[in-house]
Amino acid sequence: MHTTFKAAILSLTLATPLSAQAEDFNIAFLAASSQNGFNQAIYDGIKEAASGYDNVSTQIFDGEFSATAQFSQVEDIVAGGKFDAIIITPNDTVGIATALEDAVKAGVKVGTTLFPVGPELTEMEPQVPGLTVTVASTPVVGATAQANAVVDYCADKDPCKVVVLIGQLVFPFDNVRNDTYKEILGEHDNIEIVATGEGNYSPQDSMIAMQDILQANRDIDVVLSNADQHLMGAEVAIADAGLDMSQIYTLGGGLNQIAVDAIKAGTWTGTLAQFPKSMGAAALDAMVDALNGETPPTWIDEYSLRETPKIITKEWLDENPDFEPEWQG
Amino acid sequence: MSDVQTPARRFSITPGDFAREYGVLTIIVILMIGLSLISDSFLTARNLLNILNQSAPLAIIACALTLVIIGGGFDLSTGAIFGVASVAAGWIAVHVDPYTAIIAGPLIGLALGTLNGAIITGFGVHSFLVTLATSLVYRGIAILITGGALIPVRIAEFSWIGRGRIGMVNIAVIVLIIFMVIFMVLLNRTTFGRRVFAVGGNEEAAILSGIRTNLIKIVTFSLSGMAAGLAGVIAVSRISMASPQAGIGMEFEAIAAVILGGTSIMGGSGAIWRSVAGVLLMALIGNGFNILNVNPFFKDLTTGVIIVVAVALAASGRRSR
Repeated sequence: MHTTFKAAILSLTLATPLSAQAEDFNIAFLAASSQNGFNQAIYDGIKEAASGYDNVSTQIFDGEFSATAQFSQVEDIVAGGKFDAIIITPNDTVGIATALEDAVKAGVKVGTTLFPVGPELTEMEPQVPGLTVTVASTPVVGATAQANAVVDYCADKDPCKVVVLIGQLVFPFDNVRNDTYKEILGEHDNIEIVATGEGNYSPQDSMIAMQDILQANRDIDVVLSNADQHLMGAEVAIADAGLDMSQIYTLGGGLNQIAVDAIKAGTWTGTLAQFPKSMGAAALDAMVDALNGETPPTWIDEYSLRETPKIITKEWLDENPDFEPEWQG
Repeated sequence: MSDVQTPARRFSITPGDFAREYGVLTIIVILMIGLSLISDSFLTARNLLNILNQSAPLAIIACALTLVIIGGGFDLSTGAIFGVASVAAGWIAVHVDPYTAIIAGPLIGLALGTLNGAIITGFGVHSFLVTLATSLVYRGIAILITGGALIPVRIAEFSWIGRGRIGMVNIAVIVLIIFMVIFMVLLNRTTFGRRVFAVGGNEEAAILSGIRTNLIKIVTFSLSGMAAGLAGVIAVSRISMASPQAGIGMEFEAIAAVILGGTSIMGGSGAIWRSVAGVLLMALIGNGFNILNVNPFFKDLTTGVIIVVAVALAASGRRSR
């Protein structure tokens, strides 16, 4: 008993200073834009994961969809010395690399979500020396799944007329997606891409593009898009043209609540699954592990985070009535 | 000072003079002829109404912005006011009442525009700086209202103003025409309009003439805000979706349209029809690219070249006067 009591005293004596020394971690999330619902959802995941630790606090920075603003934020964070780690959703996946490299050299841990950082958008392993984690998947994977779904739908149609609504072709990731669509659809003689419009991730811009496209192409079979926002605009244009959206094969990307509702209602055909909240949480956990001296994986595949098919359809949603998307729209 | 030519000059006008004086119209006609020849889909009533419908929100903003610029001011907050009015109207339509939302949008715009004018005249700060600053504040309010998320507004009582039609013509186009006529009358047929030209042409002379220049400026900014609010409501109503990011960059499109039309950036001269023509020219370029399925990479390049040509024509017209 006496020995046990002494051991308990000794344990308490040792444990008390250790717990007092538990380091507080400040982690910055550099959103591509804090005004964007997808980025907000990533941050929701980060905050939720951080709340599971006693010593982790987070702060969001608004990247204003500007590469230079985000570059300056990285420099400011390194200079300020307040933050132990950065999680970024990069606006410019190439240009930001040098700033992040300097951050790593200054002892700040860096992780990226949605896209890798570096010149190769299809390379998920770190291209910046010392980068802790990339939580993403190559844009080719999602675009391939979408294009293959279109190929399946078009199998019995000749010609099968496809309209592509892409974000902006000046964005490297949208270029990769568009090239993937063209490459896979181009392998099938019955499939014809009759128009490619830029939706700029805006329902308004997408509506205008789709209205114009429908002036010259009323007999379309497919609208293929990388973003649900584009289908929201396309839906208005299609309805205004007197066409029935449910009779057209429409595939978006992002899997927000608005898309889920439209797919369940049978208005849209499907969308590419994306999980911003899970991405944010996975990135936060990996950064905390790294700050605690552990070695997290350098790449966490976005599609390993939730057990769903890549293309979400009405059939799948009907089979999984409890499924909830991770962002509003 | 005004856009009106003297009778003697009207009678002696040559095709070259006409092209220079009406540069934006000349380019529009050339573009329309070219697009009609290339595409069967272009010169149809449906497509032309489509272009007008698409242009309505921006043209409404450009009409009111013309007054601000003629009065010697600059409004960089129209895009942000458009955003605030959009999300506020969307929120009110969903949570309060759709008809109240339609009225609330322009009123919110009017209030924010008046605030712009009051700060500009009250503190004597250039409108460029004030509206740049307030645009950040207003955009922040839009984010606070929505939390960054979209607000779906699929309510028939709300969507009629953006999607409804009378015959083939969209209600938004009718609203634009009424708005444009009111502003043309206001600028060219009222004392207020003459004072706007006077303030923009020579503010000191206007003050010495007894014109309450601050009041005139405040009213022009109020109208600009109101127009942005109305445009926001129409846009939300049309796509049944309110977005805090709506209207980003719209202020520059509106300014570009006004300048492209031939209204002087220095103030003191210009016309409402010129700004609407500027908006239509930009819309025509976009429409042509989408109809012809030209690689979007060439769109900006072509748009830039056409704008430079139109502005150069307008500038040579001014020099020759």
